[in-house]
Amino acid sequence: MAQNLAELCIVLIENSLGELSAQIFATLAEHGRLTVHTLAEHAKIPLRRVRTGLTNLMEEQLVLHFAAEEGAPTFYSVNWRNAYNLARHTNIAELVNDRHGEHAADMVGNILQLGHARVGDLADAYDLQPASKRDSGIDTTADHMTEEGLVNGIAKTSSAKASHDMSTSEFHSTLRALLRSGVLVKVGTRAYMPPSDLQEQIEEAVIIDQFPDRKVTGPKKQSEFKLAINVLKRKWREDDAYSDLHDVGSRGAIKRPGDHFKTENKRIKVNGGHANGVLHDGEQSTTKLSDDLVVRVDFSRCTMAMRSRRLEQHAKRYLGGVTAAVYGALLQTLEGKVRAVHDDLAPDNSDDEESTLPCSTISEVAEILDPTIDLGASIKGLPGDKTLTNGTNGKKRHDEFGDFGIKRELSDSEDEPTTNGYTGYRDRAKRLSAIEAHLALLEEHARHFCKRTRAHGSNEWRVDFPALNATLIEAELDATILARYGKLALRVVRLLRERGKLEEKQVASCAMMRIKDVRAILTELQFHGILEAQELPKDNARQPSRTLYLWFFDTFRVQHLFLQQTYKGMARTMQRIPVERERYRTVIEKAERTDVKGREQEKLEQPEKQALREWREAEERLLAQVDRMDQMVALLRDFSGKDTSLTT
Amino acid sequence: MATLTKLSGPGDALYTELCKAAQNSIEGLRKVFFQSDIEQLATDTARDKKELLPLVQELVNHSLLRLSKLDRALCWSTRPRDAATAISRLNADEKLVYSYVEDAHQKGIWLRELKKRTNINPNAVTKAMNKLENAHLIKSVKNIRAPAQKTYMLYHLVPSDDVTGGSFFDAGDLDESLIDELSNLIIFHVRMQSWADTKTKRIKRETTPPPLTAADDPDTAGGKKRKRGPTTDIEDSAATTRKYRLSAYDTDDPTIEIITQLALPAYSRAYPSAEAIHSFITTTDAIRASKAAQLTVAEIQNVVDVLVWDDKLEKIGDGYRTVRGIKFRPPGFLGDEEAEDGDKVEGNGLTQVPCGRCPVFELCGEGGPVNAGSCVYWGRWLKEGA
Ligand code: SF4
Repeated sequence: MAQNLAELCIVLIENSLGELSAQIFATLAEHGRLTVHTLAEHAKIPLRRVRTGLTNLMEEQLVLHFAAEEGAPTFYSVNWRNAYNLARHTNIAELVNDRHGEHAADMVGNILQLGHARVGDLADAYDLQPASKRDSGIDTTADHMTEEGLVNGIAKTSSAKASHDMSTSEFHSTLRALLRSGVLVKVGTRAYMPPSDLQEQIEEAVIIDQFPDRKVTGPKKQSEFKLAINVLKRKWREDDAYSDLHDVGSRGAIKRPGDHFKTENKRIKVNGGHANGVLHDGEQSTTKLSDDLVVRVDFSRCTMAMRSRRLEQHAKRYLGGVTAAVYGALLQTLEGKVRAVHDDLAPDNSDDEESTLPCSTISEVAEILDPTIDLGASIKGLPGDKTLTNGTNGKKRHDEFGDFGIKRELSDSEDEPTTNGYTGYRDRAKRLSAIEAHLALLEEHARHFCKRTRAHGSNEWRVDFPALNATLIEAELDATILARYGKLALRVVRLLRERGKLEEKQVASCAMMRIKDVRAILTELQFHGILEAQELPKDNARQPSRTLYLWFFDTFRVQHLFLQQTYKGMARTMQRIPVERERYRTVIEKAERTDVKGREQEKLEQPEKQALREWREAEERLLAQVDRMDQMVALLRDFSGKDTSLTT
Repeated sequence: MATLTKLSGPGDALYTELCKAAQNSIEGLRKVFFQSDIEQLATDTARDKKELLPLVQELVNHSLLRLSKLDRALCWSTRPRDAATAISRLNADEKLVYSYVEDAHQKGIWLRELKKRTNINPNAVTKAMNKLENAHLIKSVKNIRAPAQKTYMLYHLVPSDDVTGGSFFDAGDLDESLIDELSNLIIFHVRMQSWADTKTKRIKRETTPPPLTAADDPDTAGGKKRKRGPTTDIEDSAATTRKYRLSAYDTDDPTIEIITQLALPAYSRAYPSAEAIHSFITTTDAIRASKAAQLTVAEIQNVVDVLVWDDKLEKIGDGYRTVRGIKFRPPGFLGDEEAEDGDKVEGNGLTQVPCGRCPVFELCGEGGPVNAGSCVYWGRWLKEGA
């Protein structure tokens, strides 16, 4: 397996779990599936320590374990994706912060550290009153490891809780918002199995159930079999999915099925009324989640959000911030509708890509778009109407879509009653048409950021993610090439990408450059693996002088190359951190002494404080750079959802 | 060579007929006639092949027709009368040399190649060439593909763009200043038609407003806090440019002018196409008229393509728009403005760390000759903040 990735994962694990776990992971990475005993042997670590290390790794789901049957030896193997995902924590917290605010980011940060968390334990960590003592009897069978793991985890989180005073209702509503937005998901029992074993189990179940003769060969049977497997897979997944209805704690406010969940607490607060008339312990009523619900962060969903953000940034480069913000809102409305990026169950026979892409209406976009943005400011001829910004939509929006990550301050400050009637209607129409103008601009652009469905006049819009993903990848490769080899090299690369295979003379004339300059660039880029040349001998003698070289740029290859380089760059950056720490060790150690800690101001000398600051800055810069490289990895590897390099 | 008898009447008629046909065809003098073509044209002058053949032979003898082979079939092409007269006076060597040069058409032929192919004494070739050149039958031109080699072609031919390299070559060398001038002009022209500007005066604040790249740059904050205060919104919303200032004392002016680049509503207009740009370029006075007249639409398209690859123009529909934030040099401005050219490379996560540009990247690793600990680049990076 990719050595660069392995190295990176080991560094990441060492950084978060320490050397022992890293060593065990490294051994597993090298040898594949092992039992505890063979593992101890290979790693040359005493068995007891191996068990401790494995436990730590399993808590974070960095290692999968599975026994073929009851009583059979348990095998352990690494989980590449989760291991790599350690590098994505900051980016996810960042994203959640943007969309759901600080509290949410904090909670997600904690859940990320724990791997997964029981709601009850999480509530304890935030020092909230236990929401429900009674067992709700919901089938969230937590893995036995969980409890144990949480003990450690909570120790970590509890230090942070002092700074956040969150009410129980806030806690639960944030959690619910996160669950609904898909950032968090419910954890079922099957999450701990390696996918291949899961596949086997599903196949077995299908065979027993539907093919008692165990004959699944032949084209017809095969396709039936496949279909049945997908159906079951989906069912299992749905069983495991969070539902507003089923995962509610029994003493929480009861939601009737017909009750639209979106009319949640914000409204209640403003009006001082009681939702459904249920009130508990003098607190605002919020539907409480079952304490036994186990949640984790859905990385693929977060990756999708990262993709949206990246696309928004890309649009901003070409069309400016306002248009990009509109685009960002469109993308966010679509996120809920796109199946998870990593959905392998999507029907394969989708010749008609077009129709499988989800779409959103302009009003949906309007509902989550930041109302303070002056939509008229960046397009000529649009009214830059201030009244629009104070219009009604913002207000309505919050009531309906409070869970989509609108900044809290906004909704709180809007105390004015909803303007009704004519003006409200007119403002809304204006706002919608302004949004439409921005969307049209996005559509018109050569990158076709979005598309109106059907013909002109429809108010539904869709985004061709596969095509835009290719655009993003090209842009990322271009940025890398530009920064490394300069703009003339980029010109050559782009022309070769567009024109296909060309001879050096043709390159020179297309690029309007001197042939000797072109030759220098071509050779440099070839040396670095960016360009390739195909030899075309003019005769059978195959003399170099009688050979034509056709140059070309292979996007896929370069994408892979840069991905590997990014892994390596991340590993080197992470490895530099302890090196820097070593340089400042004396100061750091002094600052961490119990008698100094918390009183750094008085106990440390001026130069020491200076050094400490330098160290913090250095570490922060290094980590920030890792985050940015992770964003690159996400783009190069994960956005398409088609990557298979991490499947175990 | 023996003096030729005067051209016979039917021969002359046939020649005139062929010339007319050649002139009417798009190939002009390069038009070749196969036997069947001539038979068709010659229905007036010769009734059958038997009569035709001597006529054709006569014209060939008079050098008015040139015999060559195409796909193993014989074919003929016409020569101008005066050239034919001149050729008639040549000796065998010279005729041979001439025919090779003639075959090379607008592409021309290298002297060396000529010597090799004719298979006659190189000195004789040189002599023959001199004579032909003096007789204005052939000329030497500079070939951009092989500047050191002498290339010859018939005197009356205009060298093909393959040979001269087109308008952007000046005596065989790439005319970079012309390309640069033209690029700037195109950007200017397209920019004026593709974005609207608004100017707002505002009082200069203590802190200078962030330069374009920082305000605009999607990645500056690396996706860190994206605070979007309503006040910074306008600045953030579109490319803002501080007005170009020429006089130094302007800096005392407490107000600065901010130019905001506004998009034009989508689908509201046709952005300039290569043809439109071409017609602007050829009618403007900014480019020397003789140069401008030469420029073809294809050449303009080439410049435009390069500008697209350089991320200066973007294609919208069938036309082009400047990429947001792209500026042009004010016409007549001569200073060096490369720095402001939007050339500041910002890179990405990988290229910002030293490893992304490291010369020993492949060698570096734990336990290797270099590693993250022994690395000198990190130290520099951390110190310099870049
Ligand atoms: S750590 Fe230093 S030597 Fe190693 S790749 Fe990075 S920059 Fe190069």
